[in-house]
Amino acid sequence: MKNKSLVSHIGIRLILMLIILTLLCALNPKASAAQPIVLGVPISRGYPDGVDAERGITLAVEEINAKGGINVAGTMRPLKLEISDTRDLEAGVPVAEALLATERLIIEKKANLIVGVPIRAEAALASIDVLSKHKTVSILSAGVLSPAYHKRIADNYDKYKYCFRTTGSVVPMIGATLGTFESIKAKKGFDKAYIMVQDVAHARAAGNLLKEGLEKQGWKVIALEIYPTGTTDFSVGLSKAKEAKAQVLIPWFDMPEVSILMKQWFDMKVPALPIGYIHALQDEGTWKATDGKVASSVVLYAKAGSVATKAIPMSETFVSGHKKKYGIEPRSEWTSTSYTVVYILKDAIERAKSLEPDSIIAALEKTDMMGTYGRVKFDPKSHQIIENGDPKETAVGMWAQWIDGKRVVVFPDKIATKSLELPPWMK
Amino acid sequence: MNIFIFGFVNSVILALTASGFALVYGVSRLANFAHGALYILVGFATWLFLNRLGINYIVSILLSIIIVSVIGAGIYRLFLIRVKGMPASEIIASLALGIAIMELFRWRGFISEAYMLPPFVKGSVSIAGVMIDWQRLIIIGVGLAMMCSLWLFTHYTKVGLSLRAIAQDKHASMMSGIEPDRTAVISLAIGSALAGVAAVVILPLGNITVETGYMVLTNAIAVCIIGGLGSWAGVFAGAFLLGFAEILTAAFIGPQWQMVVVLLFIILTLILKPSGLLGKQKELEERV
Repeated sequence: MKNKSLVSHIGIRLILMLIILTLLCALNPKASAAQPIVLGVPISRGYPDGVDAERGITLAVEEINAKGGINVAGTMRPLKLEISDTRDLEAGVPVAEALLATERLIIEKKANLIVGVPIRAEAALASIDVLSKHKTVSILSAGVLSPAYHKRIADNYDKYKYCFRTTGSVVPMIGATLGTFESIKAKKGFDKAYIMVQDVAHARAAGNLLKEGLEKQGWKVIALEIYPTGTTDFSVGLSKAKEAKAQVLIPWFDMPEVSILMKQWFDMKVPALPIGYIHALQDEGTWKATDGKVASSVVLYAKAGSVATKAIPMSETFVSGHKKKYGIEPRSEWTSTSYTVVYILKDAIERAKSLEPDSIIAALEKTDMMGTYGRVKFDPKSHQIIENGDPKETAVGMWAQWIDGKRVVVFPDKIATKSLELPPWMK
Repeated sequence: MNIFIFGFVNSVILALTASGFALVYGVSRLANFAHGALYILVGFATWLFLNRLGINYIVSILLSIIIVSVIGAGIYRLFLIRVKGMPASEIIASLALGIAIMELFRWRGFISEAYMLPPFVKGSVSIAGVMIDWQRLIIIGVGLAMMCSLWLFTHYTKVGLSLRAIAQDKHASMMSGIEPDRTAVISLAIGSALAGVAAVVILPLGNITVETGYMVLTNAIAVCIIGGLGSWAGVFAGAFLLGFAEILTAAFIGPQWQMVVVLLFIILTLILKPSGLLGKQKELEERV
């Protein structure tokens, strides 16, 4: 009898302890060993753009996990990164490889969400079907400036509502660029431009739009020259620009060989300010690598944030965090966009209180937060980020000029930290 | 004047990048498709010696060229010797090795735009009103010096004469005691060194990328097809023809047509003179 009461006494105590432990776990999210949220990152890892995006995502994930993870309906769940090489930046754009890499993350790695996404438009456009087929919410955060991406979503919302994009589109980008040139015309009195673009779809489109827009503004566009990818000599074009007394040189290139253009421009002392989308010059290491021959050149970033500016506080914490982790400042615009994208998802999941795609989509459509490149809001129909205005109201791109070995924000005026300077031989 | 100066520079650059490929083929009848990989190998090795190990620039260059020569010789000794006499297998083996070397760099993260070599002399000079940087003038100097030294080497040294002998008549030279495998090893070593010399003088103009290796190989093949495989003079003829054609196209038609002109020249050469401008191979009709 005595033994029985002892057993029941111990049993009651054991049950009570278990109840208390369960309650403690439920009340303290940090104490639970919650299942991680799998973040799939299909990205072209063999190229600088892919590496830059991966760095931004990794940094954000580490920061979020260090603070306990994402609060999903009261449970703190850490993020788990699963990265797959899409190889889409290779010559010939192997779209099939990119799609396989994306699908593998969803099927094999059980990715709850996808960020990054193939960088080349051809592969990214094809991946919309894969992502939508699996009802996996994705936010594109590197490359792909084609308007076709968000047009496709807007045209068939019910089917493609799972896809979002933060990198922007070339159309508003050109609109902002034209605004910058209007400002240069007013401030410096320039009116002769020479456009040099790479023979790829986005650059050709940008060249044509720029030519048309600049001529409407009263600029004389001396030439619009198209250079094959891999060109290693720009002397003829630069000589023509010099002879025609162009005051502004507008390069639009994403190939690494564009550094040759800048070196030739410097060596030939061409009296025209280079200002354009010169992707290779976004890298902090460019100054040292070119021995300062990029001095005075002005580089467009599709989105701000990779150069710190007081006007956008998150850009300062991001740049210092990146420097602490990787020893260098962010190399390109895609590091900034890919860093912010993880925080956008965190914000949406916490508001949705669920990982259900429809709940996250609804939350993403109502996103309103500050990122590294200004205020983040999505167009609810096309899922395209709303951009180019005041960073307090929308996402913004930026123009950074190489001055004394540093990248200094010179446009747009609302985030500029210094005024535009001319090369010594133009003063 | 612009067109002449930059056309000349462009031609010498093409000649330099193709000379190693042409030498190897001329002597050992091996199409070394690892040529582009060896070119960027020297670029990355020099960059590493200079920036990671802090070795003097000249010493870094010499070390890289020596290393690539040894690798070139090794490629023949370890790989190509096993498939000797089977042209398709030789091409596949050397191409596979080249891709492996190039993609190894990509895999190891050599993919930043910051991989650049400094110019030998900074600054630029005005020649007849055309501003040109010293590095391009150095390229012209090195190209001409290389042409002269190769001529002297193949005409006045024992090794050089043996290389020429093998290239002219393999069987007769073997009867004279020249060992073909040994000359093939030497030709691969020298050809690789030439790729190295080209790399260290040309790469300071831009940056070192994996893609550069593929482009150099393509250019070398284009120059050799047009100039004529196996002909030393043909390499320079092909390089100057292509070099000036590219610059003239950029000046008068548009830079986007440069590649089209190169392809057009290749097609025309293959139709009209399959052995190239100064090629020593038998022409198609002779073979038929």
